[in-house]
Amino acid sequence: MALTGIEIFKLLPGGQRPPHPKANCKECGIPTCMAFAMKLAAKQVELAACPYVSEESKTKLAESSAPPIRLITLKGPGSSIKAGNEVCLFRHEKTFYNKPGLFVRVKASQANIAAEVAKADAYKVNYVGMDFTVDGFAVEADTLSGTSDPTKFADAVKAVRSATKRPLILVAKDAKVLEAGAAALPGETPLLYGADSANWEAMGDLAKKLNAPLAVCADNLDTLADLTDKLKGKGLEDFVIDPSSTKLGASIAKYTQIRRLALKNFRALGFPVISFACNAADEGIAAAQAIAKYAGFVVLDKFVPELLYGLLVLRENIYTDPQKPIQVTPGIYEINNPKPESPVLITTNFSITYFAVANEVEGSGLPAWLLVCDAEGMSVLTAWAAGKFDSERIAKAIKGFNVASKVSRKRVVLPGHVAVLSGELEAELPDWEIRVGPREAVDLPGYMKTALNN
Amino acid sequence: MPVEIPKDKWTGKVREVSFGATAADGGTRSKSIVVGGDTTLPYMQFEAPTPHTPVIAVEIKSRRPEDWSTLLEETWGDAMNDPASWAKAAEAAGADALVLWLTLADTPEDAVKATKAVLAASALPLMVFGPGQVEKDNELLVAVSEAAKGEKLVLGICEDKNYRTIVATAMANGHLVSARTPMDVNLAKQLNILITDMGLPANRIIMDPTTGALGYGIEYGYSVMERLRLASLQGDGMTQFPMMVTVGFEAWKAKESKVGTGVPEAWGDWKARAIHWETLTTTALLESGASIVVLRHPESMKRIRAAINELMAA
Amino acid sequence: MNHTITFTTSDGKTVTASALTGTLVSDAAQQAGIEITQPCGGQGRCGRCAIQITGGNVRRRSTLRLSQEAVEQGYALACQSVIEGDASILVPEQEKIERNLTTDRVAAEVSVPSGYDINWSQTVRRVNVRMNEPSMDDQTDDWARLQTALRVQHKLETVEASISLLRRLGQVLRDGNWEVNVIYELKNLDNHSAAHIIDVRPSICDEDEPIYAAAIDIGTTTVSLWLVDLVTGQVKAQVAEYNDQIVRGEDVISRIIYASKHGGSDDLQHRVVGTINKLGETACKRLKTRPDQIVKAIIAGNSTMIHLLLGIPAASIRLAPFITAVNHPPLMAAREMGLHFCPDAVVDCLPGVASYVGADITAGVLSNGMDDTDEITLFIDVGTNGEIVLGNRDWLMTCACSAGPAFEGAGVKDGMRATTGAIEEVWINGDTYEPSIRVIGGSKPRGVCGSGLISLIAEMFLTGILDKAGNVNLSLPTKRVRATDQGGEYVIAWADETSHGHDIAITRVDVDNLLRAKAAIYAGFTILAEQVGMTLADVETMVIGGSFGKYVNVEKAMQIGLLPDMPWDKFKFLGNTSVKGAYFALVDTRQRERISEIASRMTYLELSADNTFYDAFTSALFLPHTDMDKFPTVAEALLSKEKR
Repeated sequence: MALTGIEIFKLLPGGQRPPHPKANCKECGIPTCMAFAMKLAAKQVELAACPYVSEESKTKLAESSAPPIRLITLKGPGSSIKAGNEVCLFRHEKTFYNKPGLFVRVKASQANIAAEVAKADAYKVNYVGMDFTVDGFAVEADTLSGTSDPTKFADAVKAVRSATKRPLILVAKDAKVLEAGAAALPGETPLLYGADSANWEAMGDLAKKLNAPLAVCADNLDTLADLTDKLKGKGLEDFVIDPSSTKLGASIAKYTQIRRLALKNFRALGFPVISFACNAADEGIAAAQAIAKYAGFVVLDKFVPELLYGLLVLRENIYTDPQKPIQVTPGIYEINNPKPESPVLITTNFSITYFAVANEVEGSGLPAWLLVCDAEGMSVLTAWAAGKFDSERIAKAIKGFNVASKVSRKRVVLPGHVAVLSGELEAELPDWEIRVGPREAVDLPGYMKTALNN
Repeated sequence: MPVEIPKDKWTGKVREVSFGATAADGGTRSKSIVVGGDTTLPYMQFEAPTPHTPVIAVEIKSRRPEDWSTLLEETWGDAMNDPASWAKAAEAAGADALVLWLTLADTPEDAVKATKAVLAASALPLMVFGPGQVEKDNELLVAVSEAAKGEKLVLGICEDKNYRTIVATAMANGHLVSARTPMDVNLAKQLNILITDMGLPANRIIMDPTTGALGYGIEYGYSVMERLRLASLQGDGMTQFPMMVTVGFEAWKAKESKVGTGVPEAWGDWKARAIHWETLTTTALLESGASIVVLRHPESMKRIRAAINELMAA
Repeated sequence: MNHTITFTTSDGKTVTASALTGTLVSDAAQQAGIEITQPCGGQGRCGRCAIQITGGNVRRRSTLRLSQEAVEQGYALACQSVIEGDASILVPEQEKIERNLTTDRVAAEVSVPSGYDINWSQTVRRVNVRMNEPSMDDQTDDWARLQTALRVQHKLETVEASISLLRRLGQVLRDGNWEVNVIYELKNLDNHSAAHIIDVRPSICDEDEPIYAAAIDIGTTTVSLWLVDLVTGQVKAQVAEYNDQIVRGEDVISRIIYASKHGGSDDLQHRVVGTINKLGETACKRLKTRPDQIVKAIIAGNSTMIHLLLGIPAASIRLAPFITAVNHPPLMAAREMGLHFCPDAVVDCLPGVASYVGADITAGVLSNGMDDTDEITLFIDVGTNGEIVLGNRDWLMTCACSAGPAFEGAGVKDGMRATTGAIEEVWINGDTYEPSIRVIGGSKPRGVCGSGLISLIAEMFLTGILDKAGNVNLSLPTKRVRATDQGGEYVIAWADETSHGHDIAITRVDVDNLLRAKAAIYAGFTILAEQVGMTLADVETMVIGGSFGKYVNVEKAMQIGLLPDMPWDKFKFLGNTSVKGAYFALVDTRQRERISEIASRMTYLELSADNTFYDAFTSALFLPHTDMDKFPTVAEALLSKEKR
């Protein structure tokens, strides 16, 4: 289990009794040992930064800081993708770190492989300023269990590789087939899928030879743990596990059990999980569940942009750090269909502030333009106090978002808390009428009805 | 290697809440709906069975909405013209319950008329929501509440600003309230405290912690719901209420669902995308603890019904 | 364009001034020599600078805090009104700062640390020196003569003096007829042979004659000074006075902004130095001595106050990442700072930890002793900012939360400082909803001060006038509760019962302000404890400092959820812990060293860094708290009221 800040502190010079001569030496760049301990607990610093920690403490800290879920990296010639290193069951406890890779499946027997892959590979979609793409491809042999032709599989892999530089997952149950495919990917780290109770030895040998992560598959946790354990005996360390369920109810239970066990440092299952949502009755719903509930890799049946977009957005949302203050994108927002003569209200981009203002105005039914300024996600007073919400920034927003082009009456309403800025803003915006509104959002409707009505 | 499955042992339980009164209870509904009763996190059926199947409710409006996506207009057609035929269509599409959403244009008489029409057209349990403006909600809901006395409606939107009026009328007329708060665990709990302080029995409260749609803040609703369910299982009495979310309303507000033109090509096919938007949002929120989801499109209802069946089957 | 502005003050005096278009009325008034109080520093927040426009052309930028009615009557905020033509302006009587600072009452409570002995604890020493008069045969210079005498008579091998001392040395030696009294400070306690001369006085003096020194705390609102006799270690006088910087802003942010404007820094420095000088004079007068007899001063204060005192730019304190210019200021001489003490008096500003945890808190920790006990102690010092320290001898964590000035009566419609006419305590009858009040000075009330507000909220809550969210219950059978545009309000005193003839009422907006203030402080406790993996239940001692601690009623503060619900015997009220810490440092050099060590050991936590604070804050934004389990005695009180 991870140690708390205060437990770590007791292992550092500052926490020793009698005091260590180098207690609170600041040489790590942090003012006190306590502060260092807390940053260490939050994994924001490395223990190596402390020059005076004892060997004994080092060992204890190393034990407690080993990640419960092993970090697995797949590498293609153009990009790589990571899974694992997660530390919690619920995103609000900390955050989810490594977004599950979304892979599109290609069957070896399929026609026009290169063209299909190229289409998916070129896919790029923008969501609030970020570009999202597919993370890689899964190449599946013709028959999963039977003896597929290694040459055909290798050809398919080559075709895929000719159309994309992203990491690949090679899917076959015959080690020879997989080996042929992997041979087409020199210098890469593909995921080998996969080992089961029948083929694990051959698969294990191959993974060892290729030094690539190996997926293990079984429909129950006992077998999965058994397989990773046996394969570890072969000197392997990097696994991805597939609990092989296609039904939502069974999946959510198993994926949760695996995450819980891993977090309790049950090492045999401390690996990322792969979900073949492509085999579920409703691929979209299965993939959505896998993204929210603990998958490290998600394989989709084909490239369907309208679904992929939704899943990429869901993944981004679920993996957003919940500890970060929530921000609204700065810009000019329309409330109740404003007209050119409607007032321009100003606020900051702290979501709570924004919602308070927007809700009050929306509820009043009065039309208005709401100008959200970039105040680094702080509320009006905090931002003002910290110098992030001043007349310069407001003027910049008014000019930058070209507010003048939307209104016939150049009139802006400042939050009452920053009435002090009115004079400077007047100087910045000489042709604008600067009004000071109420301090609290709840008083906005009343203010708009009376004070602004002239 | 035998693996010991870690099972959570919780002390708390979400309250069982029922709405919709049958003839036996003095109402006219064909059935009552029971939600809540959960003793584990959602669908952790290896610990305890999920006691009640989540409810799919359909949103209908008291008058034909002007700002709904044409995709929705296409599917509901003329049924949208009046709430009674809409109610029938929704029932035919497989709804478990109905949400009649009143509008700002309604007078109390209109609201009562629409409610009575829906009650006559469909025997499904009913929730009636005001347009969301405090004074208007009070005005409409008090009239509806009195007119439908004994039907065990769920009255919404009951917020911190108007809870006194809504709770008082719910108490007087045997209804429930849907307590809505803006995506915050503490605010949700605070409103529940204020409502129970007024004397409304706790088994007549459903909470609506609100959510954003996919891409529009779903993560806040998602985590708030997870936290509320965790708190209720940990024994926090003022969070032990079943949760509802108006997913359809949120998802169809998103540009991704609402419009088919002037959007990036990378967004793909409009109709399929719109249904995905409602369905993916719903999936995530069901799994974070929603007991009632209010949807808009019949196609989403079908897919969610199938998903719920799979989740319940485990 | 120049305009003629005619100001008429409340005493009927008329002053005419000329001002350019665009000049603020407040600036024009200042130029005309008319004082208009601006507690918010001219930010248009407080509404205290209201003036009446009786004619002419003045444009109002903001009418915040003015009623529609008042605006119609011509009222405007001086700091938010721009001159656009000739104008006539009526300046109403300005609020007087007239609080009786009652610190002298508690003078007896401060006892000299046991075992105090000037020869053991003190670096400041005094010796009598007798020299031979110079002559044609003995042409040693004055300074060497004194040095030699000190070496021979008192074993002081190395002594230093400032040029300013040397300038007056010759006169002093002659005035004393070569018998003088020398006050010096040892470089450190272990070396009695090296010293720095502070003062040379032209006469021999008795051993028990006092050596005066001062312990000073510069608060954002109040400056306190204790005059100490270093011979006995006793506190001889305690005086306090409003910080004269108040007219330039009530909170540190306003002052920092003011300081960064043209000449603002000098103005603020002069004002605080002036306040200290005034205090020095008052205290000395009481002991029939003079400020120039004060030979040493130790100063505590929040980081902004210390920066402003030293004339160090404070702008970076306010801006992320919130860094001070200096946490451990160097020693200064009184003359360098404009203090009217002995010119070479050593002025030692205590070290701080961070921008919002300053020397007032390190001194506070010293005086409450939490750095030297095994007991987990939670120390809060509530002023305009709330600073919190949690810890014991092993570790000390600290944070600051911005409570805002609500508990000091500002930002509340009928709020005021704890001066004459302030309602300081309220009781409300649960059946009739009629209040009983206690007013400072016993006169008719004029407003409600911080402690009055706390007790008012608690009473309104317990009697059901407020629900747990702070909403006013408008359905109660009393005229005192009434609706306004901004939600309900409760009338504490009717117009005919007040000194100014207006109703005194608390509005929903006021209640919200107070709830936010108390929630910020409570959230600070919670987060700080959480960060070290504790809960408030683990706290063994709760120490409350600041003027807040002296006036507030704990029970009521708990009932509104400002203080954690704990057994009363866990609470300790220490009053001004900051000046007390400065005093301990003054009388014992080892304690002074301990403060430096405390400062280097304290770990500062920035609360705004993530969402956990916001969460704790919302949770505390309820009466008494969203988590009622944390307030069992309040729950009990509510239950018993219900039964009744």
